Amino acid sequence: MFRIALKDLFARKRRLVTTAIAVVLGIAFLTGTQLPSVTLSDSIKSLVGDVYSGFDAVVRSPRTQETPFGQPIRTQVPASVVEQVAAVDGVRAAAGVVESPGPEIIGNDGKVVGGGFGPPTLAYNWIDDDALRIGALREGGPPTSADQVVIDFRTAESLGKRLEDEISVATTQDGVRQYRIVGISGLGDDGSQSTGVRPLIFTTAEAQRLLDQPDEFNYIVASAEPGETQLDLTQRIGTALPEWQVLTGEAFTAENQEQISQFVDILEIFVSVFGYVALFVAIFIIYNTFSIIITQRTRETALLRAVGATRRQVVVATLLEAVVVGLIAAVLGLAAGFGLAALLLRLLSGFFTISSSVPSLSSGVVVLAVLVGVGVTVLSAVIPAIRSSKVPPVAAISEVSVDRSDLSLSRRIWGAVLVVGGIALIATGLAQVGPNPLYQVGGGAVAVLVSVAVILGPLLAGPVSRLIAGPFSIGGRVDGRLAGENAARSPKRTAATAAALTIGVTLVTLIAVVASSIKASADDAISSSVQADFVVATASLASFGAIPAGAAEEIRSIPGVAEVSPVRFTLLRLLDPVGVATASTSTTIPAGQLGAPSDAPPGEDDFALGIDPATWFDVVASGDLEGSPEDLVAGTMAAERRFAEERGWRVGDTIPVYFVATGVQQVRVALIYDEPLGQAPIWLPLATFEPNALPLFNVDNQIFVTTQPDADTAQVQSDLDAQFADLPTVQVQDLQEYIQTQTGPINTFLGIVYGLLGLAIVIALIGIANTLSLSVLERTRELGLLRAVGMTRRQLRRTIRIEAGIIAVFGTLMGLVIGILFAIALTIAISADNPGVLKFQLPVTQLVLIVVFASLAGVAAALLPAWRASRMDVLEAVSSS
Amino acid sequence: MSTTPPPTAQAAAGAVEAVKVYGTGDTEVRALDGVTVDFDRSRFTAIMGPSGSGKSTLMHCLAGLDRLSAGRVRIGEVFLDDLSDAKLTELRRDKVGFVFQAFNLIPTLTAAENITLPMDLAGRKPDAGWMDQIIGIVGLSDRLSHRPSELSGGQQQRVAVARALVSRPEIVFADEPTGNLDSRSGHEVLGFMRYAVSDLGQTIVMVTHDPNAAAYADRVVFLADGRIVDQMEAPTAERIIDSMKLLGG
Repeated sequence: MFRIALKDLFARKRRLVTTAIAVVLGIAFLTGTQLPSVTLSDSIKSLVGDVYSGFDAVVRSPRTQETPFGQPIRTQVPASVVEQVAAVDGVRAAAGVVESPGPEIIGNDGKVVGGGFGPPTLAYNWIDDDALRIGALREGGPPTSADQVVIDFRTAESLGKRLEDEISVATTQDGVRQYRIVGISGLGDDGSQSTGVRPLIFTTAEAQRLLDQPDEFNYIVASAEPGETQLDLTQRIGTALPEWQVLTGEAFTAENQEQISQFVDILEIFVSVFGYVALFVAIFIIYNTFSIIITQRTRETALLRAVGATRRQVVVATLLEAVVVGLIAAVLGLAAGFGLAALLLRLLSGFFTISSSVPSLSSGVVVLAVLVGVGVTVLSAVIPAIRSSKVPPVAAISEVSVDRSDLSLSRRIWGAVLVVGGIALIATGLAQVGPNPLYQVGGGAVAVLVSVAVILGPLLAGPVSRLIAGPFSIGGRVDGRLAGENAARSPKRTAATAAALTIGVTLVTLIAVVASSIKASADDAISSSVQADFVVATASLASFGAIPAGAAEEIRSIPGVAEVSPVRFTLLRLLDPVGVATASTSTTIPAGQLGAPSDAPPGEDDFALGIDPATWFDVVASGDLEGSPEDLVAGTMAAERRFAEERGWRVGDTIPVYFVATGVQQVRVALIYDEPLGQAPIWLPLATFEPNALPLFNVDNQIFVTTQPDADTAQVQSDLDAQFADLPTVQVQDLQEYIQTQTGPINTFLGIVYGLLGLAIVIALIGIANTLSLSVLERTRELGLLRAVGMTRRQLRRTIRIEAGIIAVFGTLMGLVIGILFAIALTIAISADNPGVLKFQLPVTQLVLIVVFASLAGVAAALLPAWRASRMDVLEAVSSS
Repeated sequence: MSTTPPPTAQAAAGAVEAVKVYGTGDTEVRALDGVTVDFDRSRFTAIMGPSGSGKSTLMHCLAGLDRLSAGRVRIGEVFLDDLSDAKLTELRRDKVGFVFQAFNLIPTLTAAENITLPMDLAGRKPDAGWMDQIIGIVGLSDRLSHRPSELSGGQQQRVAVARALVSRPEIVFADEPTGNLDSRSGHEVLGFMRYAVSDLGQTIVMVTHDPNAAAYADRVVFLADGRIVDQMEAPTAERIIDSMKLLGG
């Protein structure tokens, strides 16, 4: 039996390819998305280890707060501490390090380099000690005066800069200023590596001036005398300087590596979700393909049964075939995934140094590929195999070749159970009932999708196919009519083929609708509440600290300007009972960290805006106010009504708040407003904000400007533009542009998600091509007859293309409907928690484009099967054998 | 073979020195070995011969389903040998009707749609009066909306005959049209074909090995080893059987 199965398999190579291709792609995407992360993580870790290898001990402030964007924020250390560290026994050398975002490089096109996503530009100070300096010089020398800078080789290459060239740097202190490049550096011993971060290395004084932290460092590093261990050194420094946090160089490195690993892990999870989606789609395809080929093989199976094969042998033979196909496909898929991973790494190596362009092949990934490949294939083959074993031996002499059976009762029941169960799971998940809401929603969605594929799809496939074929059959056009009938004749097959596309389209639709709703809501919130005519904002959301300190004052002097209201933002930690209860527990002190532990008490991290109470309420409609803006004095804050109500805050209550810069402060709630902007639940008057925020955040982030009623707004805008003309980091936006900037990142995110979901859609299209190839094979006689009685090759190709189009449109429409329903469910769920935050909106143009694109792609998928069909030998098809 | 008359303008189709060779070298088979034959208009001709005599090959080449290795074939005034695949397809669609032994109908189309299929492919409207007449003759008026799977074998073949006739082709080729039918259905189908020639003036060429079927024809052409070996006008089943015996032994 084993021999028969294998012989049969290799005798039909095309069928093998057809069956395997979906598995290969599924596995390729699954592994291709997982393989690079290992290499990526290792590369960055070794690079980070390298960067800090000269540090034996690090001294820094215990005053710190976690942030949602990577590095925690922390207060500076006074320069005087450097001397104290240097004086400790066993310290060979100590140096203060300035390391902070702020200054931005202006490219040759006059725009900020790397604005938006990607690694940041960071300002550093030059450190004389070779061991304590980060990186190595490749060319030139250190900066010795305020107008000199050292940049890294990648920045130099990308800007086409060389030694002694000038480079434009935008800072809050001076606007755009030219610095002379005196050195070009890189990481590693020979300066040949890069993490993608763009360092600007100034003299210590200049770096401190630019970041508004005179005589302060971000941390201090020390190098040990020979023979001194890191731990001993750290202990001694910790004893000598008990008010500071001290940790070994190794602990510091590990901490940095940990942060990067977390980021890479999140990235990996994000990307591999799409790998699993692709695999899920591939399962449909492979199941469908097995169903079709096993049905087509009915005669053979019956013959085997007739000559004495038992049912068990027939099933085992099919499963053996599945194991072999799965194994081959898994290996090929792994190879393809390896290629995909190498490609991804190659792309990433443009940003930072990667230790190897060959992805490291972990045994875990190999096992995963083989298990999933074989498992999925065998599972897909089980049901068709059992069904095929039920074929009575007499079928060997009849002409059965197409599964036209109606939906069985058990299928209907199971389908109904899946739908109801799936919806129940989604509902409980969204309502946050049950052990794991996320898995409940995900599992429920899978159940609903599967049920659509197995019951609803086949029930709808017939009528919908004929409906879609309608326009192609007008005037008795026979190709459209035939295509419609062909798609309708085997509803299970059409539905299963379409279902693969349905999954992809469901996700694309869901995300498109949610994104559109978020954008519409933001648009609504901003346009209904912001009464400013112009907003002066930073060019990219990532670069804060770009608006010069005196800018707001200068804008006031522009004729026609009525109100000018600057906004800042910062992080704070709320220590009220609700905040403490929601705090993430246990902050363990890592090995190798001594001295003062982090002094941040447990609490809830939130964003707060810094506002000018005198003008803010004129530029932003804040609804009904409880309290008066005049009450917002130093030591007070304003809270959004729902936020306050949830926490039981009332006007006059005093709340303990932790600020990184100043520690725990008692802040009184002086005002409660109806939050319109959706940016931060807490507004601090500048009188509270300024003394409590780090220098990094103590800069205007946006300036809202209103004009006088009789003012010439065009004139005001051109005056504003003129004022910031030489500052590319700052943009003057009218309200519409402001809204676009605020919602811009959603588009970037959408682009990435669409790209990744595209993988699933590609697999679905291959499924369509697969099904049609097999259908064409099955209909040899029929197509031959059509050709004999006068169907041209063109007409035949058209018929098959229309059939593909019908399947694609059917799958797309189902996906569209389910996606929109999911989106409605999600909107309802979000709105239940946050009323009025999300406003449901259908992106009509986008959805139409999705349908058009998916349909055309479906037609394109049919090109090869159509061509093959049109080349079929007519004579062979019609000869009565 | 010198008795074969040269092609005339009266003929609906014909072949001159038709040769069809399959394979090369040792495996070479000459399925047609210099066949020259004419099929007169408004006549019913049967082609007979033992298995492997080349009768099906001759029909396929005449009908534009296969190409000759040498020689020429024509339908009406058109020689098929120079035609492209597209032109040949059009010619089959517009000038030729087909009735095969089995799988004559598209399973997804109704009887009526199967009948008008060639005209629909051409984008032409069938002549309503003619169509009604044909459908009436084959007795399918109450079966038009049925699909092939809902029709008996005899009914299916009658639909095929109606399809072959509805576009008033130059010539109808039938390949063992009654091979899969019981004798009563077979006689019905042959009766319609006879009627189409005698009363409607159609031209039919039928390949068969059944003397009873061939007896419906006006003329029988006998093939053996790729050559025409005999002809018979106004045949009867008995005379055909006698001839076959002579050929066979």
